[in-house]
Amino acid sequence: MNFSIMLDEGKCRGCTNCMKRCPTQAIRLINGKAFINTAKCIHCGECIRICPYNAYTPESIEWYNQMHDSPKKFKIAIPTTSLYGQFPRGTDICKVQNAILKVGFDYVYDASWAADLVARAIKLKIEKEKTIRPYISTYCPAAVRLIKYRYPSLMDNLILIREPMEIAGILARERVRKNYNLKDDDIKVFYISPCPAKLLAVTNPIGDYTPSVDWVIPLNKIYGNLYREVIKEDNNICSYPSLKGVRWSVAGGQSEHAELKNYLAVHGMENIIQIMEEIENGKLSNIDFVEASACVNGCVGGTFNVVNPFIATSNIYYISNSLKDECINPDIDRFDEMHATGFFNYKLKEEERPGKLNLKEAVERQEKIKEILDMLPGLDCGSCGAPTCLAHAEDVYNKESEFYDCVVLRAKK
Amino acid sequence: MADSLLKRYTYDVMANDFMAAGKSSSAIKSNLKSLGIDSDILRRIAIISYEAELNIVIHSFGGKLHCDIYENKIVIISEDAGPGIEDVDLAMKEGYSTASDSVRELGFGAGMGLPNIKKYSDHLEINSSSTGTKIVATINL
Ligand SMILES: Nc1ncnc2c1ncn2[C@@H]1O[C@H](COP(=O)(O)OP(=O)(O)O)[C@@H](O)[C@H]1O
Ligand code: SF4
Ligand code: SF4
Ligand SMILES: [Mg+2]
Repeated sequence: MNFSIMLDEGKCRGCTNCMKRCPTQAIRLINGKAFINTAKCIHCGECIRICPYNAYTPESIEWYNQMHDSPKKFKIAIPTTSLYGQFPRGTDICKVQNAILKVGFDYVYDASWAADLVARAIKLKIEKEKTIRPYISTYCPAAVRLIKYRYPSLMDNLILIREPMEIAGILARERVRKNYNLKDDDIKVFYISPCPAKLLAVTNPIGDYTPSVDWVIPLNKIYGNLYREVIKEDNNICSYPSLKGVRWSVAGGQSEHAELKNYLAVHGMENIIQIMEEIENGKLSNIDFVEASACVNGCVGGTFNVVNPFIATSNIYYISNSLKDECINPDIDRFDEMHATGFFNYKLKEEERPGKLNLKEAVERQEKIKEILDMLPGLDCGSCGAPTCLAHAEDVYNKESEFYDCVVLRAKK
Repeated sequence: MADSLLKRYTYDVMANDFMAAGKSSSAIKSNLKSLGIDSDILRRIAIISYEAELNIVIHSFGGKLHCDIYENKIVIISEDAGPGIEDVDLAMKEGYSTASDSVRELGFGAGMGLPNIKKYSDHLEINSSSTGTKIVATINL
């Protein structure tokens, strides 16, 4: 079980809001309750955000067990960069990492430190390889999966450089093995996450590697405990995130950190869809790098955050613009050595190639679906349990639903 | 039979309608996606049909965009009602454009449309006279 978006059926009223919003049409109403097709879900969180009845519980139910059932394991925490935007202005954010230790972790490796490294790797790749334009960031797993399902022709544009979470996991494991004389099996790595999408990156990566992170913990689930520790008087061990690295939590932050001059930062699902259409049409090849974040404003907009995305953005800017940079990045000196070995690069996982397309059959199928569609009222009302009349026609064709689930036609009959 | 027409999608394209520009090629794209056309082919067709559509919008009095599906090829056809391309060889040159300043201000008119159509199709025919331009771009499967 690795699915992170649960529905409380008692709260769901079958209002169709989530179903209509879902960018991959992964949701249907079955017996008046929303149902997510996990194979299609990209964990973007749109359904969680839009539900008027808060019926979705956006959590990986297993995180708690994972954390508490493994008391013998050495626990590493990797806090997301957006965590630093969640505290009131004036909070000593250098105390956050120590607070994480206090709530039950044994070691902290900041995602922003890894971002320092990844930003350099991105910069070098963009300077060196000029044939692919624009490169598209692989930081947001939901955006990457949207591309995979809706814009597969743009998979070649993905910049295949491991993202900070992954790099942080590898480097943290390495340090802990050495410093504490442990084996990999004795270690568990948790990412404190702003969103459900990161869980997907851990359980089902697009790359052909074994993820270094074992599980994600929703930020909001430990925020209360963390905050209490952060403000305690006796919490006085300071350790700083990278001030440029924390900007990764805001759209545009990756590109700025990588010192790119010619980039585009798009955020919010609908906006991403428009930009991907443009790229597919051959436009935007004059741009070096496209940052696409599923959430408004970037990861500060992730559904597990506790603070409004705009306030969090302002907090992050404040931190990165006005704090004195006292960050000591533990691995920055090793960058050249790591980069030379190809440490940051990866390949896409081999996917099963679809069998040879029989165009004749495909056209026939499309025509049959069109015939069904033409008999439907075209209201896209959602009452049948599918997001649009076309989706209903496809479901009927695939024998996944009944033609007369359409309430308008049933009323006429 | 590999060379019999399986399906034709047709869209009307209005001159100067920049709000709707791109809708027809978008529709072609989503139809081809739902057929399961390979993504590399799809991308080439996306570029060809978008550029052909935009040329009807920008340079012509209006016309139609067709996408013909055969078992072994896909053909994008644009037909318009004039005024025609004055010098086709010149129009094929990268960067050549007669687009007005107001069109350029909208971000069009880089003069790369026809060269890209040529680049991404396996076979291209252009017939143009004052009564209209017909472009037939073939992509082999
Ligand atoms: N359908 C058309 N009707 C008339 N003229 C056209 C048509 N398509 C292209 N042209 C002419 O060919 C030129 C080059 O076209 P293209 O390469 O697409 O560049 P652009 O559209 O950016 O001007 C246009 O500027 C125009 O003069
Ligand atoms: S998380 Fe996104 S993709 Fe998944 S069901 Fe919700 S809206 Fe659809
Ligand atoms: S933008 Fe960030 S927070 Fe939102 S889904 Fe993507 S990775 Fe998660
Ligand atoms: Mg053009």
